[in-house]
Amino acid sequence: MKSQSNKITALRSALLGASLLCLTGLVQAQPATPAPENGTFDVEQLFAGTCGFCHSDGGRAAGKGPQLMNSPRDDDFLHNRIKHGKQGAMPAFDGALTDAQIDQIVKYIRALKPREG
Amino acid sequence: MKRRWRKSGLPLVAIGATLIVSSALAQSVDTARIEAAGQNDWLTYHGSYKSYHYSPLAQINASNVGNLGVAWIHIPGRSTRGLQSMPLAADGVLYYTGSYSRVFALNGATGEVIWSYFPELDEALIARQTHSPYNRGLALGEGKAFVGTMDGRLIALDMKSGKVLWDTKLIDSQKLTVGFTGAPLYAKGTVIIGSQGGEWPGRGPIFAVDAATGKKKWEFLTVAGTDEAMKSWGNDSWRTGGGGGWMPGTYDSETNTILWGTANPAPLYDWSGADYKTQGARPGDNLYTTSVIGLDLDTGKLKFYHQELPHDAWDFDSAVGEFLMLDRDGQKLVVHPNKSGFIFVYDRNLAVKNVWRLVENINFVKDIDPKTGALIGRRDFSAGKVTEPPLCPFIGGGVSWNSGSYSPKTGLYYKIGQEWCMTLDIQKTTPVTTPQVQLNIGADFKMAPPPGGEIYGHLDARDPVTGAKKWEVRYPEPPLGSVLSTAGNLVFVPDSRGTLHAYDAETGGELWNHSDGTGHQGGIISYSAGGKQYIAVVAGFGGMLSDEYAPNFGGVYKSMPRDDGALIVYSLK
Repeated sequence: MKSQSNKITALRSALLGASLLCLTGLVQAQPATPAPENGTFDVEQLFAGTCGFCHSDGGRAAGKGPQLMNSPRDDDFLHNRIKHGKQGAMPAFDGALTDAQIDQIVKYIRALKPREG
Repeated sequence: MKRRWRKSGLPLVAIGATLIVSSALAQSVDTARIEAAGQNDWLTYHGSYKSYHYSPLAQINASNVGNLGVAWIHIPGRSTRGLQSMPLAADGVLYYTGSYSRVFALNGATGEVIWSYFPELDEALIARQTHSPYNRGLALGEGKAFVGTMDGRLIALDMKSGKVLWDTKLIDSQKLTVGFTGAPLYAKGTVIIGSQGGEWPGRGPIFAVDAATGKKKWEFLTVAGTDEAMKSWGNDSWRTGGGGGWMPGTYDSETNTILWGTANPAPLYDWSGADYKTQGARPGDNLYTTSVIGLDLDTGKLKFYHQELPHDAWDFDSAVGEFLMLDRDGQKLVVHPNKSGFIFVYDRNLAVKNVWRLVENINFVKDIDPKTGALIGRRDFSAGKVTEPPLCPFIGGGVSWNSGSYSPKTGLYYKIGQEWCMTLDIQKTTPVTTPQVQLNIGADFKMAPPPGGEIYGHLDARDPVTGAKKWEVRYPEPPLGSVLSTAGNLVFVPDSRGTLHAYDAETGGELWNHSDGTGHQGGIISYSAGGKQYIAVVAGFGGMLSDEYAPNFGGVYKSMPRDDGALIVYSLK
């Protein structure tokens, strides 16, 4: 399940990069440049760190946010929702994640299967 | 006679005169007045520094509550994630906040808007925040109303006009996306406010600001705020330790001490296993997270503390702001609920005197020693699934952040308990070594029923020191709002489905109820204006816990708005 293609390299660092850009007032920042400080990070870890707070069971069940497994939404919708958020429901990750990283998250969502056992 | 009065305009003159008189009689709100907790007012988040959430008014009482009806309603607008605030009342004027830190001052008898204030906020920042844009209330003092904002500011408004008197930036919210959602506390010329924290990789500061000038007086870091605390974070994990203190605590004037509850460490869930002192994402006890702390009001120096859950690996924090100040058999006691559903009883220096269980479904520990507060039989997880049994309680807690109520008349503590659990998949996360935007949870999770049972909530009437239960009322879904008790032998509970209930404070018998049209998850108070008693409650659902209700409980929650709300004020018909 956890394939190399799912990996987002140095995502934590990208988040840090974005925060530093924001510090200089560039809130609508260009894509953050990943840097190595916080190491390698994969999408499953991203879900356990951030997304899973609202999308229960790693995106497999509805919680504060909707279930993502078997989402009827198309890839563009998912990409845009992650990037721009929804007021009062989901934060915008534009500036924290690059378009390429968001595409990796969409791939993770598409590959979600029920847990075994 | 009535007709003649209308023609002559006399009633208007009379009303005008009343307003002038009441404004002339209005005194400045100061520490002594908050301490005295006059029966007509509600001057601070917890009602008074005693944190009783109790009104000595008895005009509305068990014998006439059947005649309670809506007096007026106020719609604040833009109630994204509902309304979560505790109204305040002073000299017949009601003050309250809505989402985006909107502040209103209303005529307490009529609901007429005296002034309103909508701060200009960094909307681009708010769009990136998770725990936003709700606001849980304000503080009053020295002729000012104080409110925090999601973009890290504390603002003072003139109580009479709503004019901004100062606006102080306290947190660089761009860095972590955290700000202020909780109400400030006013005491002795100082305004205290704690930042969000918990699952964010920062150090959770609590600030003191000069009420007159807006200048910062001190800042206390709830993560590694002292040399001793620094040693309780292995591998430099204190740099991203979480913490914070996002609900207002209280002030003990006898010792000039601020009592405050702190939030959980980050990541919420740890993969350390039993060797949490040396292994995992944040090895050690992680001081001063999930603790109650006593800070000197003037200097911010830590005077004493008790860490309710050393190395909290379950997100059962101590952020609940209630500190019930009791005098019992010559002993001065403080009662503080922990999110886990255990209720801690302390002396005024936060030394443990007793610990009792409010909720039934607790299995993160076998027990807590009631004499020492030590955790017995901890359940520390390694990476992997946690299903048999599920972790109890659920991340929403055995108690939530809203407040219970203590009636000095009945001697009973009325508090909502929540019975629910969760399954988890703990992740062995890559260490986060630098503060970053967004959250650090450390597990996937899902709500689950208690082993062999159903999810439910309950209002308990208990002895606050021993935990002895006198009566209980059950609800199919846990109520999330605050509780109010009054000298009229009444207990009010605003529930999640949207019904406001009134119970007999001695027996728990339901005496009255009324639908507010949407779920409750905020405050409720009582006050007097023009000699008449009112009950004010905020309604409006949505947010970090209530968003779980539609997918898990369905029913009325499926169509319940999460971007709407109203302040509803009741009086006798």
